[in-house]
Amino acid sequence: MWGIDISRVDLKSKERDEIEGFLEKFDLSLDKDVEYTICARQNGEIVGTCSFSGRVLKCFAVREDMQGEGLSGKLITELTNVMFDRGIYETFIFTKPKNKDIFKGLGYKVVEEAEDVVLLEGGTSNVKRYVENMFKRSGLDSSEKAALVINCNPFTLGHRYLIERAAQENDEVVVFVVEEDKSVFPFKVRLDLVKKGVSHLKNVKVIPGGYYIISSATFPSYFLKQKDKRLKAYTELDARIFGKFIAKAFNIKKRYVGTEPYCPVTWDYNRALMEILPKFGVDVKLVERMTICDKPVSASYVRELIKEGKMEEVKRLVPKTTYDFLISDEAKDIIERIKG
Amino acid sequence: MKILKPAKAGTYESNDIYIMIQPNDNGIKIELESIVMKQFGKRIEEVIKETLEKLEVKDAYVVAKDRGALDYTVSARVETAVKRAGVEK
Repeated sequence: MWGIDISRVDLKSKERDEIEGFLEKFDLSLDKDVEYTICARQNGEIVGTCSFSGRVLKCFAVREDMQGEGLSGKLITELTNVMFDRGIYETFIFTKPKNKDIFKGLGYKVVEEAEDVVLLEGGTSNVKRYVENMFKRSGLDSSEKAALVINCNPFTLGHRYLIERAAQENDEVVVFVVEEDKSVFPFKVRLDLVKKGVSHLKNVKVIPGGYYIISSATFPSYFLKQKDKRLKAYTELDARIFGKFIAKAFNIKKRYVGTEPYCPVTWDYNRALMEILPKFGVDVKLVERMTICDKPVSASYVRELIKEGKMEEVKRLVPKTTYDFLISDEAKDIIERIKG
Repeated sequence: MKILKPAKAGTYESNDIYIMIQPNDNGIKIELESIVMKQFGKRIEEVIKETLEKLEVKDAYVVAKDRGALDYTVSARVETAVKRAGVEK
């Protein structure tokens, strides 16, 4: 382990190509969303690399002849220190099931395992503690509940219809709003519009979804809208985490989802939920999506109308609370961005 | 000493321990992961507790990732993390 230098990679320089070339040998690539990359060199040659994006460590590889020499520990220390200094204390790693022991030996814990992918957590993360705190903060009691997980980019009449259905058929309903800030409507706005849009339903509680429900940690493909070989693994992982931790802590017995005519990623996700959640004692209720003038109501269609400036048509598809927001000064920046 | 902000010390390398310390409301809470949990888990927790007591830290949330550190390493890493995290009372 002598003569090894670890340094940050300038992702805009030629060194990036070198890293990509190195990762290729491991059948890996440097993901587009990588924020920070380090690399270890011996006599000028790359022997290892690791990156992070948000809370997730990724694109991790060590040259075969250097494995087992302690280089992984050095790379993880270096990167964890950088993240810590940026205020990221809770970290995650995805890996193939066959590699999980490497990270377990480095202080990472398995959150959940699907057929083709394992999610591990490190730093100060602890899924049990986190979900228990979520439940405590929600102020809910331990009675049986129905749940929905929605992004609401932005909140439409379709979302409201689905929540109303759940509210009619159940004593208590909890709505998790996807917290990851990767949508054109910021999380705070999305959460606020859902809260306002369902304030007439007394048995509905709207809360932030946190790290473990459709986040970059449980389900990265959701945000990349990528239908690739990893999608099945990720949908399964997210569904299992929901069943094992969230449903258990909140005593959720049913999860409502809307039919998905447009987005193949969401469609696959629904299918994974229907297959996996019943194993954890959670029924999945698939509700036919609301249609207005023979067209299913969807947030992506609403965004398209906003882009074309057809605000009168938008008005028919969203609750008044959402519409009032869209024509307010606060929404100007968001609408500019949608119009691109 | 009072823990004012999150701080860390140590490495994830073999024979070392990575200590993360955060403010806490009531008392000391320790979460330990170790490759020698079965053999030395209890002892490592003891050393962490003793070191915190010596430094008069009453409230702290400590997460420790151990890769076979010896007692004095554990103690030194905890002390460094505390001194980075807090101020003398």
